[in-house]
Amino acid sequence: MANLKEIKTRIESIKSTKQITNAMKMVAASKLRKAQDNIFNARPYADHINDMLRTLKNKNISTDHPLLAEVSGKGKTAFIVVTADRGLCGSFNTHIIKEAVSHLKKEPNADLICIGRKGYDYFKKNSKNITAYYVDLFNEMNFDVSVEVAEKILNLFLNENYDKINIIYNEFKSAIQQEIVAKQLLPIVPIESEEISKLDYVYEPDEETIIYELGKKYIHVDIWRIMLESSAAEQGARMTAMDSATENAADLIDKLVLHYNRARQAAITTEIIEISSGAEAIQQ
Amino acid sequence: MSKIHIKVIQPNQIRIDEEYDHIIVPGVDGDFGILTDHTPFITKIRSGVLQLFQNDKSEEYAIHDGFVTVENNMVSIVCDTIEKKNEIDSVRAKASKERAEKRIKSSEEDINFRRAEISLKKALVRLEISS
Repeated sequence: MANLKEIKTRIESIKSTKQITNAMKMVAASKLRKAQDNIFNARPYADHINDMLRTLKNKNISTDHPLLAEVSGKGKTAFIVVTADRGLCGSFNTHIIKEAVSHLKKEPNADLICIGRKGYDYFKKNSKNITAYYVDLFNEMNFDVSVEVAEKILNLFLNENYDKINIIYNEFKSAIQQEIVAKQLLPIVPIESEEISKLDYVYEPDEETIIYELGKKYIHVDIWRIMLESSAAEQGARMTAMDSATENAADLIDKLVLHYNRARQAAITTEIIEISSGAEAIQQ
Repeated sequence: MSKIHIKVIQPNQIRIDEEYDHIIVPGVDGDFGILTDHTPFITKIRSGVLQLFQNDKSEEYAIHDGFVTVENNMVSIVCDTIEKKNEIDSVRAKASKERAEKRIKSSEEDINFRRAEISLKKALVRLEISS
């Protein structure tokens, strides 16, 4: 059995670890609430843009605009992988990287765009074709940041002869559940919605310009939404991971305290035996 | 007189959700007014001043980058930024105006020039409202 001092230092160190994991859990919980609010608040904007785009597309305007064109299958493909910037959030990052790797196996020549430090670190080491990467975005998230990222992605798409750009990210389901989603980001596939107005709108300056501007805006909003989803999912994953870490630490402390008490008792017993046998020796 | 319902939607909130008599919107091809029973209409807006009128009173907002949809006396404006007079930091706007002007003078690259132009426009609108 380990000696008393060793056990005691271990208990102390686990106690401080527990404090840290517990604090991280609390922080993640409050950040999660904020992220959820953000998702909720972003919804009307995203819905409106989506509806406008659908009305336009429904008019069957003969547009072969690159943002809305069909996939021709000729150009390159790119994958955007959205991970977290930081670890300690369970299997959040590993799962998304695994998913990305399996997609890349099918299309080995595809380019990669990494959002989030963890994904970038992984793919940098594994020497894949990273065309662009964005790290440390999730700390100060606001719409302007996501617009900047979206603009760069749009530029890549329009100027670099990409056939399509897919995006792999975590969607927030609930605080304890995330779902990995892989979908096509560009060309745009507007979400089906039932409420499409049948009104015959007048477009100014003209439909082509509006469709182009609206398409760009749609990507801005989609990137914003995806970043919000991913960050909420990350905080959720971190909260659960830290919760079970705290619980494990508590269990371990209980066990070690038991060990400690046993060892202490054993030491006392030995001491008593020593004293009493010493006393007996004197008496004789 | 019947009223029109104005809804201004930002990426992080619904900013305005009220009835007004008429409004003036800065469209890409110039300012235009919207009265009741306007024809269904979609356009892009430029950086400019959005004016909302109600009972002879008017409110002014600086607005940047967005779209207007008009249908059945319902006007939806989606925009990235909208600010009231008291929300504008005129010192900052002035500084960014000067910065943008300087960049426009010195910039050769295309994209930087465009960006500077956009931020100059924004700064000018802000200054116009806040003064």
